[in-house]
Amino acid sequence: MMDLPNRVANSAGSGIGRLISLATADAAENMAIDQSILDSVSISGVPVLRFYQWSEPTLSMGYFQRFRTRSEHAASFPIRCVRRATGGGAIVHDQELTYSICLPVAPGKAWVRDTLYQQTHQAIADALACFGVHAVPFRLSGACIRTKEENSRFLCFQRRTEEDLVVSGYKVLGSAQRKTRTAVLQHGSLLIHASRYAPELPGIGELQSFSIPVQQLIEKIVTNLSAGLHLDWNEDELTDHEKQMASKISQERFTNAAWTMRR
Amino acid sequence: MSRDESKLLYAESHEWVDLTEEGGKAVGTIGLSGFALEQLNDLVYMELPELGRELAAGEEFGEVESVKAVSPLYSPVNGKVIAVHDDLPDSLEKLNDDPYDFGWIVKVEISDSNSADKLLDHAAYQKQCAEAG
Repeated sequence: MMDLPNRVANSAGSGIGRLISLATADAAENMAIDQSILDSVSISGVPVLRFYQWSEPTLSMGYFQRFRTRSEHAASFPIRCVRRATGGGAIVHDQELTYSICLPVAPGKAWVRDTLYQQTHQAIADALACFGVHAVPFRLSGACIRTKEENSRFLCFQRRTEEDLVVSGYKVLGSAQRKTRTAVLQHGSLLIHASRYAPELPGIGELQSFSIPVQQLIEKIVTNLSAGLHLDWNEDELTDHEKQMASKISQERFTNAAWTMRR
Repeated sequence: MSRDESKLLYAESHEWVDLTEEGGKAVGTIGLSGFALEQLNDLVYMELPELGRELAAGEEFGEVESVKAVSPLYSPVNGKVIAVHDDLPDSLEKLNDDPYDFGWIVKVEISDSNSADKLLDHAAYQKQCAEAG
């Protein structure tokens, strides 16, 4: 595979990306903004990095998951559900930090999956290390490769792929992607604390017995992603067009029961 | 009879098409290249289009998931879907071993043969893969 930074530089033309500050919104808005950004990066070629949190605990299901499998996880019954546009298993978004990164890719060369997982997760692992948290990719954790059955479990955080970050054997970061012809969106969840709607999944707070200052963690991640991807991140806001498109996408898709229960 | 990958045409987005004539109609059989499948590594889901759907060259006609990444499939030609490989989504583990025969995804009745003009021949596609690889 080609080196990702070259691809970014070639596609984007400059080495500058847009950084959208930490914001809190509901599930539909969060997912719609990510989709809107993917659409805009597909055209503009300018990378976008953003961080967000969730205004209420929400279960997100992977794009291909069957809605009826929700019955496999009783603890998350009481909370809202949204279907993501990205793959993987279901996630209870509660006490977490979510990131999304969207990068241009040259047409025909959209197979950047593993490189992007590696580079973003390394940036986050290095940021966590600054706060005394030792997180490693699952492939380096010494644990056995999971069976296909284990990796088909309902919850994303009960599955393991090579680049998932684990702390003391527990997965604390998982990411997923959606590609277009000219761009790729990757978003991922970092479990800061366990949720009462998924109590079987400890967060960093439970594993390390201390809390991480989220804003400082973000600053470290941004610095690391700048070095890792050879990009300078300029603080920015969503454009009016991105906001309008997000509102439209939210109505058509992420607040629409037909989308949520499409499978 | 096995399909000869060197005789197929390829889209920049890694779909192949086998152009044939069936019952006096121009038919394109479409699949994903071995290179693409190798890069994707482990397909776990595939969504196929409905019979009768009209496709334009470059239009999305399905989606696949691999290692939590969802990617679209693009039609290499203009045409109407006349056959769908329904067994494929439940047999994705066989796809990497046989991308050009078992791995056909859809057949389309081609509505505009000129829509294939911009496709790559095998040599040009190999060159693209080498540059991407």
